[in-house]
Amino acid sequence: MSEANRGDYLFDKTGDDPAVAELEGLLGSYAHRAPLREPPVRRRRWPAAVIAGGLAAIAIAVIFLWRRDGDGSGNACQRASAGFAFAVEGGAARCGGDVASRGTLPVGAWLETSGDAVADVRVADIGKLTVYGDSRVRLVGTGASGHRMELARGKVAARVVAPPRLFVVYTPVAAAVDLGCAYELTVDDNGRTRLRVTSGVVSLEGHGFVAYAPMGTEVLAAPGRGPGTPVAISAPDELRAAVARFDGGDPSAVRAIAEAAGARDTITLWNLLSRTTAADRAAVFARLDELSERPPTVRAEDVLAGDAGAIERWRAALDAGWSCPGCGQKSKGKK
Amino acid sequence: MGAAPAHRRGVDAREATVAELVVAVQGGNRAAFGSLYERFHRVVHAVALARVPACDAGDVVQDVFADVWIKVTRLREPAAFPGWILTMARNRATDVARRRRPVDLAADLAADLAVVPPPRVEAAAALRAIRDLPDTYRETLIMRLVEDLTGPEIAEHTGMTPDSVRVHLHRGMKLLRERLGGEGGHP
Repeated sequence: MSEANRGDYLFDKTGDDPAVAELEGLLGSYAHRAPLREPPVRRRRWPAAVIAGGLAAIAIAVIFLWRRDGDGSGNACQRASAGFAFAVEGGAARCGGDVASRGTLPVGAWLETSGDAVADVRVADIGKLTVYGDSRVRLVGTGASGHRMELARGKVAARVVAPPRLFVVYTPVAAAVDLGCAYELTVDDNGRTRLRVTSGVVSLEGHGFVAYAPMGTEVLAAPGRGPGTPVAISAPDELRAAVARFDGGDPSAVRAIAEAAGARDTITLWNLLSRTTAADRAAVFARLDELSERPPTVRAEDVLAGDAGAIERWRAALDAGWSCPGCGQKSKGKK
Repeated sequence: MGAAPAHRRGVDAREATVAELVVAVQGGNRAAFGSLYERFHRVVHAVALARVPACDAGDVVQDVFADVWIKVTRLREPAAFPGWILTMARNRATDVARRRRPVDLAADLAADLAVVPPPRVEAAAALRAIRDLPDTYRETLIMRLVEDLTGPEIAEHTGMTPDSVRVHLHRGMKLLRERLGGEGGHP
């Protein structure tokens, strides 16, 4: 289409510009639609003398507390009134830099456990995070819109009962987004992250990738490339090796994955549908179609074309089998 | 009986100028405050979204309007409201972005992914590409492509001239197309 026929769609929506319209469609989901919240109460402005007096009183109180605490650096986690309560057993831990066996982890403070220590952190009113030894975790934020923690190093186990996406644990290379579940998360000194899901579903996200990991699966995320492809915890070494090759940047490993995949590995195949090119997707599709019942609403040509809606509908059908091993699988697939 | 002062008079939300609405809000008129929100929440959101993940941008909008309600009485020139509120939005969003560090980009992406339906990855990648553009262009492009404001509407709500908006949109779009790798705009 010539410029003359386009008008200036980008500026005033006259004429047409398919590329701009496509971007509008893609990005329109981010548009702001929320209503106005009730504004806060306006307070009268106080005379300068009153403000000065108040500031002086606060300064005196701060100096008093500083002196009472000696060097003034400590006990932030014991004094904190807002945050996540924690208790430590079996060893030493530091909260906000100070030795602590229990207290409240405030937003921004780090909780660090020594080799033998295990800390139980109460995650608001939705669950518990167990922090194992030699770990370093932080409360990033907590509120009605969600609870966010960060695991910089070590191992945690989370058990949460909450609406999907309310609880997120960041690591140096990914974010574990709770979709209703229990899971373990490990981060080594290089930031490499391992997620093992023991109940429900977790989404491991980062670097443009989303790994959908139901119970009984694990995912590795590496610096620079984000979450890899989920595999069943019981997956054979042959399949794991092929997945590692694929995640490392070797697309030819797709065929080895398809050949090695059994009924337990539909989660790996389904995740690959969104990670492969059209040519490689055919092999993944063929094996997944062989191993599982594809709903009538999921057309082969749509999946092969990478249609996100069709792939999501297939996942919805597969979910039952993933949460109930053995359900929803075809009997002819190799185990 | 004399006429009521300007801030006490009712304001027709559709006909009132921004300055008239601001005067009414300074006098405590909540309906006028709602009208200001209707006119400006999208540009404030665009300014926030240019700097912070999508799940935080909504909070920035609400925080900014809460501040507007409290601080608008100090605004001496009501006609300067568009520039005033956008400056507040930029400052607030910058504070939020600074507080999020050193949380890594993966976390920001996850936050962007969390608020949109499929195809999530493509949308998040396109948004990230816009965020990587120079400051001059990213706010204007987000107002146009995300908030669905036309160029003339952007000019009205930001205080820029329509010609400046047109230039920003076209130069920004050219850069965005180059970064997304083609005319089609697929990330």
